[in-house]
Amino acid sequence: MGRPDLEPTIGELLDRHGVSRRSFFKYCTAMASLLALPPLAARALASQLRSAQRPSVIYLSFQECTGCLESFTRSFAPTIENLIFNVISLDYDDTLMAAAGAQAEQAREQAMRSHYGKYLLVVDGAVPTGDGGVYHCAAGRTGLDILTECAKGAAAVVCVGTCASFGGLPFADPNPTGARAISTLVPDKPVVNVSGCPPIPEVIAGTLLQYVSSGRVPDLDAHLRPTVFYGNSIHDRCYRRPFYDQGKFAKTFDDEGARSGWCLYELGCKGPTTYNACATLKWNNAVSFPIQSGHPCLGCAEPDFWDRGSFYSPIPSPRWGKAGEVSPAQAGDIAAGAAVAGAAIGLGSVMLARQRIKRYQRQPPQQSEPRNEE
Amino acid sequence: MDLVDFARGPALKAAFIIFILGIVWRIVNVLLLRHKRILSEPRRSVGAALLAGLKGTGSRSWPHPEFIKRTVTGEALGYSYHIGLFIVILLFAPHIIFFGSFIGARWPALPNSVVTIFAVITLTLFVAVLARRLGHPVLRRLSNFDDFFSWFVVALLLVSGLMATAHVGAPYHTILGLHILSFDLLLIWYPFGKLMHAFYIFPTRAVDGYVMTRKGAPS
Amino acid sequence: MNTSPVQFHASLAPEEANLGERERVAGAMRGFAREIGALSALRLEACVHCGMCADACHFYIATEDPQYTPVLKVEPFKQVFKREASAFAPMFRWFGLKAKITGKELERWQHLLYDSCNLCGRCSLMCPMGIDIAELIEQARRGMFEAGLAPKELYEKAAHQRRTGQPEPSEEPYRDKLLAIGRQFNVDIPLDKPKAQILLTVPRTDIEHYPAAVAALVRVMAHLKADCTFRSDGLIAENYGYYAGSRDWQREISRRLIDQAVACEAKVLIVPECGHAYTALRWEAAELIGKPLPFKVLHITEYLAEALEAGRLRLRPAQVGATAFHDPCQLVRKGGITAAPRQLMRAMGIEPRETVRHIGYNICCGGGGGVFDIERAAPLRHRVVEEKFHDIDQTGAQTFLTSCSDCRRTFDDGKQRFNWELTPGSLLELVAEQLQGG
Repeated sequence: MGRPDLEPTIGELLDRHGVSRRSFFKYCTAMASLLALPPLAARALASQLRSAQRPSVIYLSFQECTGCLESFTRSFAPTIENLIFNVISLDYDDTLMAAAGAQAEQAREQAMRSHYGKYLLVVDGAVPTGDGGVYHCAAGRTGLDILTECAKGAAAVVCVGTCASFGGLPFADPNPTGARAISTLVPDKPVVNVSGCPPIPEVIAGTLLQYVSSGRVPDLDAHLRPTVFYGNSIHDRCYRRPFYDQGKFAKTFDDEGARSGWCLYELGCKGPTTYNACATLKWNNAVSFPIQSGHPCLGCAEPDFWDRGSFYSPIPSPRWGKAGEVSPAQAGDIAAGAAVAGAAIGLGSVMLARQRIKRYQRQPPQQSEPRNEE
Repeated sequence: MDLVDFARGPALKAAFIIFILGIVWRIVNVLLLRHKRILSEPRRSVGAALLAGLKGTGSRSWPHPEFIKRTVTGEALGYSYHIGLFIVILLFAPHIIFFGSFIGARWPALPNSVVTIFAVITLTLFVAVLARRLGHPVLRRLSNFDDFFSWFVVALLLVSGLMATAHVGAPYHTILGLHILSFDLLLIWYPFGKLMHAFYIFPTRAVDGYVMTRKGAPS
Repeated sequence: MNTSPVQFHASLAPEEANLGERERVAGAMRGFAREIGALSALRLEACVHCGMCADACHFYIATEDPQYTPVLKVEPFKQVFKREASAFAPMFRWFGLKAKITGKELERWQHLLYDSCNLCGRCSLMCPMGIDIAELIEQARRGMFEAGLAPKELYEKAAHQRRTGQPEPSEEPYRDKLLAIGRQFNVDIPLDKPKAQILLTVPRTDIEHYPAAVAALVRVMAHLKADCTFRSDGLIAENYGYYAGSRDWQREISRRLIDQAVACEAKVLIVPECGHAYTALRWEAAELIGKPLPFKVLHITEYLAEALEAGRLRLRPAQVGATAFHDPCQLVRKGGITAAPRQLMRAMGIEPRETVRHIGYNICCGGGGGVFDIERAAPLRHRVVEEKFHDIDQTGAQTFLTSCSDCRRTFDDGKQRFNWELTPGSLLELVAEQLQGG
């Protein structure tokens, strides 16, 4: 290839590892379809990928449960090994790396120094900012400190999971640690949110791959999510959608409707307001997804999904205050209160009105005795 | 808190309070104004008059054959968009959940496609109603801000509802928020404008039926 | 049929024209304020501006001029109500959403409230909300009167009637005219009996224009051997206070008749063939004096129909050919007298041909409610009567009857104007001609 760069291209690495062009092309075809590219684009993807350099990746974990990483490692195409060894150079991930302590931190600093301005920062978990950020510390430093340092030289930040993307569980009311979404803490870098609790492994992998192959941040929606995966709502792609359209709803989890696989809208399914690829890519090697197994979508890829009342309260339910769904009794109480207040005001206004009427009536008639008749 | 949560949360609560408060206020203000006793000797008995008043609440729903020829357009438009509104408001599954949670009951819904068709028809009729209001000399002469704003509020609900169904204009979530917000607007405007007619129509008809029948006159 | 809106300057009696803007507005407010109550509030609040009342109003039907939309005529009253006494009146005031009424504005409404409304109540029947629009217009007139904006003709007649008992000066008093009619038609006028079962009244219109109808009334009553009398001090049936919109004058004018009925201990007061007189006495007098009347008020057709049913009255068949009957608005729509005139006609072998518009839903003569007296309203009223003639013509009738002398006079006037073939007749006169036996 004759490139003057120090780092080998992905193509060179693949050749070095003995990956045949054929299997690489197969892989690119699979990726292209995952990214919803047209069939011909697989060729372009392959050539782009081959000539691209493996970016250095630093993976930081903050307030998280490692569920996202667990999900990520279950990616089937491209596999995590593929990604780590071929497509990216995972230079720091305190969960996966063998090194620990000072050695690990050194690896991070080394990567940051040598790829300054070019490395990709992947963040998992929200960052606590309350009380000086003491609720997350590693190597004697606060998470906020580490994030700020690492973000400085990053080409872009990829937030994996809803906690990193939108704050997630740590951010949920009352948010005792002052947790915040990464995008609010890194104002000057391109941020890509790969939300979900956890995100679909193929979506994480696909997003990274898309970045590597194109070298650019992909098209994003208003919540900074790649539109290729988050462009449609679960509802729009749901195989149970026809039941919604026909007005056929499961009313409980064990009624005839539930057994017949009818729409779970009335059981609180958040599919219509949730944008993710669950209904198309599905989970566990495309085996199933929550709705297919009979459970309503929780809306985990959306901001504040923990704070929207019960997972089982339907989307159109009125929600007054923190108590959640309005109850008839509550509505009745409020209505009664408003009615009493209305009656009181009405009484006041009618008294005022009658007073005014009386005053106008008292104005002396000027015509009772016509002045100059005949 | 996002738009939907605001619209169906605090905004809805405030709107609901204003709605109830305003309606009661306005009705109390009418009820407690002076009542004048009717002293003339009745032609028909009080019972007959009361019965006619009761009957009048329904019988006024259709004009006497005498008037139909001249009022048929208004009647047809008025009737059809009211029916359309009732179907769209009360027989759409999400609406049933919404209104049902206030009273703790749900009822069968129409298929969404049917409701959507009704919504489109109703919106079309609504446009026709506005065109007629602007074009008909009598209606144009009578119309005031209330007429147009009340039209606008209901039309806004229809349009935002259809946009949410069709997923156009903005993400569903945003449109849903706007749709619920426009419902909040309707609740707030309700007691102040002509939408109050829903509360006046039956008492007014009943009173007219009573007063006229008391005299033995047609009502 | 589209015409440019007819606009008139207010026609005012001198004492009305004397009023300054402040007095005018204060008067209007006083008049409207007296009319605001739960019932009028409900009616004013309920309107949805559907415009259908226009399609019931013969003034709109005849002209297609939107200013004649009935509920629009009430606008000043509505404006005052909204600003002063509605639930949100303070807001209307603070934010200037409803302006104060002005004398100039009210002046423009004179034409709408007086010239173009017979208070016939057809719009009230149409209103899908059940609003009695005619009643609101009557109430609005009361504000207009207090503002000194009743049309000159009505104001002067009302003032004269209030003072003298007759709406206008005449060469000889109506009492003497009445006796003269008795001599002319050779009937014995029962006058000023100290006691009588029945107090008779007479329309001024009949005295002036249809003396035969007066004679017919006397003849029929004599035939029925009714113990009845006219009273010099309470003779005239019409109530110009009602037309002009003066609550006080209407009460005083009605009081004159009531006092006479009480004085002669009458059990029944008979309203002759006059529609608005019936409304004023039958339905409004008790409210105005604040207590129930100690006697019954009957329209002459009611009284005759009762006699017919009781077998006291028998009539010969009348050879009058196909006959159409005009229901006076105040007797039918506002008074509930539908059956009586038809009973009488059937007793004379006449099967009335009903107009295209259903019984009780017929359009007006166009002259009632004082409109006939307002000179400048004549062209408008002619268009209405033309419409009415059209309806009558469609029945193919050769004889045309009514039981209100004001309707009759309006038709006569229209007949001259349009050379109409039929001659409006009085049902009472026909009955008097067909009396049988006794």
